[in-house]
Amino acid sequence: MKKFTFGWSVLLAACLIMIICLPVWGQTIKIGVIGPMNFVQGKGHWNGAVMAAEEINAQGGVNVGKQKMKIELVKADSNEFINVTDAANAMERLMTQDKVDFVVGGFRTEAVLAMQDIAMDYKKIFIGCGASDIELCSRVAKDYNRYKYFFRGTPFHNGYLVRTSFAHLATGGAAIKKELNVPVRVAIVAEKAAWAEPMVAAAQAVIPKMGMELAGIWRPSAVATDVTSELSAIQKSGANLIFTIFSSSVGITFARQAGELKVPALQVGINVEAQKDGFWEATKGMGNYVFTMETYIRGVEVNKLTKPFVETYFKRFKETPTYTADTYIAIKHYLVPSIEATGTLDADKIVAHLENRVFEVPSGTDKFEKDAQGQPTHDLTWGPGYQTSLGGQWQDGKIVGVWPNKWKATPTSPEVTFNGMVPIKLPPWMKK
Amino acid sequence: MDLAILYVKKFYKIIRGEVLVLPSRISVGLFFLVLIGLPLITRDPYIIRIIILTSIFAILAASWDLLSGFTGQMNFGHALFFGVGAYASALLNVHAHIPPWGSVPLGALAAVMAGLIVGIPCLRLKHTYLALTTLAFPIILLGIIFALPDWTGGELGISGLTRFTSSLLGNYYLHIITMLVLCTIMWKITDSNTGLIFHAIREDELAVKTAGINTTRYKLLAFCLSGFFAGIAGGLYAHYMRIAGPSTLEVSMSFTVVIWAIFGGAATIYGPVAAVFILFPLLEFVRFWPEYRTLIFAFIVLFTLLYMPEGLIPWVRDKIEKECPRCKIRNVSTRKTCRICTAGLD
Repeated sequence: MKKFTFGWSVLLAACLIMIICLPVWGQTIKIGVIGPMNFVQGKGHWNGAVMAAEEINAQGGVNVGKQKMKIELVKADSNEFINVTDAANAMERLMTQDKVDFVVGGFRTEAVLAMQDIAMDYKKIFIGCGASDIELCSRVAKDYNRYKYFFRGTPFHNGYLVRTSFAHLATGGAAIKKELNVPVRVAIVAEKAAWAEPMVAAAQAVIPKMGMELAGIWRPSAVATDVTSELSAIQKSGANLIFTIFSSSVGITFARQAGELKVPALQVGINVEAQKDGFWEATKGMGNYVFTMETYIRGVEVNKLTKPFVETYFKRFKETPTYTADTYIAIKHYLVPSIEATGTLDADKIVAHLENRVFEVPSGTDKFEKDAQGQPTHDLTWGPGYQTSLGGQWQDGKIVGVWPNKWKATPTSPEVTFNGMVPIKLPPWMKK
Repeated sequence: MDLAILYVKKFYKIIRGEVLVLPSRISVGLFFLVLIGLPLITRDPYIIRIIILTSIFAILAASWDLLSGFTGQMNFGHALFFGVGAYASALLNVHAHIPPWGSVPLGALAAVMAGLIVGIPCLRLKHTYLALTTLAFPIILLGIIFALPDWTGGELGISGLTRFTSSLLGNYYLHIITMLVLCTIMWKITDSNTGLIFHAIREDELAVKTAGINTTRYKLLAFCLSGFFAGIAGGLYAHYMRIAGPSTLEVSMSFTVVIWAIFGGAATIYGPVAAVFILFPLLEFVRFWPEYRTLIFAFIVLFTLLYMPEGLIPWVRDKIEKECPRCKIRNVSTRKTCRICTAGLD
């Protein structure tokens, strides 16, 4: 009898605990993570979101009014590099089958535009973490009532990407002038891709205004496996600074062959392949001194949040986070504080709160912009004190931060230097 | 009233005598009924979306079959017509503010023009050379689109298009009825004298020429008709997706259409339609296994074509129906004698 009573007491206690806990744990906040999951960009989306969800759930979840709710992630493969229709279907599925509360992710602009429309139809907050085109946020300003649920998570828009690249170019030019005391001649090398066209046109116009000479423009294929003819021509042109605009595999080919030929020029610009941890192995060490735009570099601290994020991510996934892993920021720093502050999952209330916040994230400080008419665009503010991104250079087997290092956005602006920056290095064969 | 009864009786007689006698015709009838009645079973926006997109791609696949399956003009750049239809509709809708009711037919006319532009230089080409030349045209257009971003939106495409209607059911019925009507028209074309000539051109163009038929005119007609239907599909797609982008012209789009048509059975019209209705929802169904989606798709297509080289639908049809050796009328395979001439079927 005694045993029986004890057994029943345990069962009763268990039932009571379950009844008490059910309302707390029973409901979850469903967040859809959409991206090209079979590609590195989608893996970044998913990893960042997983890390955010794990951290938040480990702390007990999100306070929604008087309720504590855990985060549940729903993975959606958009397959957007191959099929835009697939991407739109994946978004519709998230909205109607999985019934998510929020969505983060997206990469290819054409697909994100289609996905954005679907999310707006259902009035769900969608934080874009990959596409850079300004059009995504121009839509918010043009038709605020429909598109107000869209926010840019990362990266800042393509206009600012160009500005940052020119700041990097100026840094490279200044280093050449200082160390070699020669005029700077710039070769523009951009892969044959539509996204590179406006950058090439802007670079052509801006380089002479920056006090540098334009040595020429070269446009190899985005998937070229041999660029020796371009490199020979660049060498003959007397260029000592190469402005690279690469997002595809040509970034590896170009860096490797330039290193093999010891082309006496510093490579500065965008080289997406050089942002990856495997770049050193891929170029067999020939990618030394390649300078590229970066979001995160181990050892560089933009603020107090950077190091914990980068190191935890590295420990968890054995790689440095790329910018699509900013789904972490979208969940942990965009959504959760606004949900907790408003005490609701109501999208309109969260939008009203989120668009007026200024807050620190591991990559800088986020503030949402307004257009000239004062209309919110939900785009990220760029510049000192906000988002600037980083400039990283491969130096002897690892990528180190070299920009911003005493950078002044305008002559009157304060200098910006992040912790962990090291001086930029010129390839030794330039000095011969 | 008597007239109505007469018509009902006549309709019943046709159904009993012409439709219910063959499993393939019953299947087509059921297909029509299921599509029209689907909203009575479910109004899930996701399912409705999949059916709408399937219908659009069914028009596209059937239009390829009209040109390449029937006339034998191997087109590996069918995305050109789809893309021209999509972009023309989008430009007219966004810049000229023409509603979809006007922009889609005008987009289809632009695709007809594209059909002529492609058709004329391709008249002298055959087989592999024709296939490779047609493959080049959407790539050329893609280059033009990237070269004129102020007009075409460049890499982003043209977004912000209006839909035909904001109603879920309205969109559903508009797309499926358009698909059923257009596919029926295409099937009727192939069943007409023109269709016979198309067929004959594929089999032996020289013989057709010697019969005094202007094959050039018919080949151009095939290009234009195919362009028209594919252009309608492109316009419908752009307005439904609310964006016309470079993806509509990608090589993968051209090849997907070929895969659909060959999988279902070329030179049938209904084969490609059935194939899209099998393969497109299937790809959505296997979303639970994202890493292997494309692999599963490839295996199914390969397996089917390995064992059913004529395509899935003709294979199934041959299993359930037999052709009378004397009068060539089709009969259900369980019959021992022909339903028309009573000749033995075995």
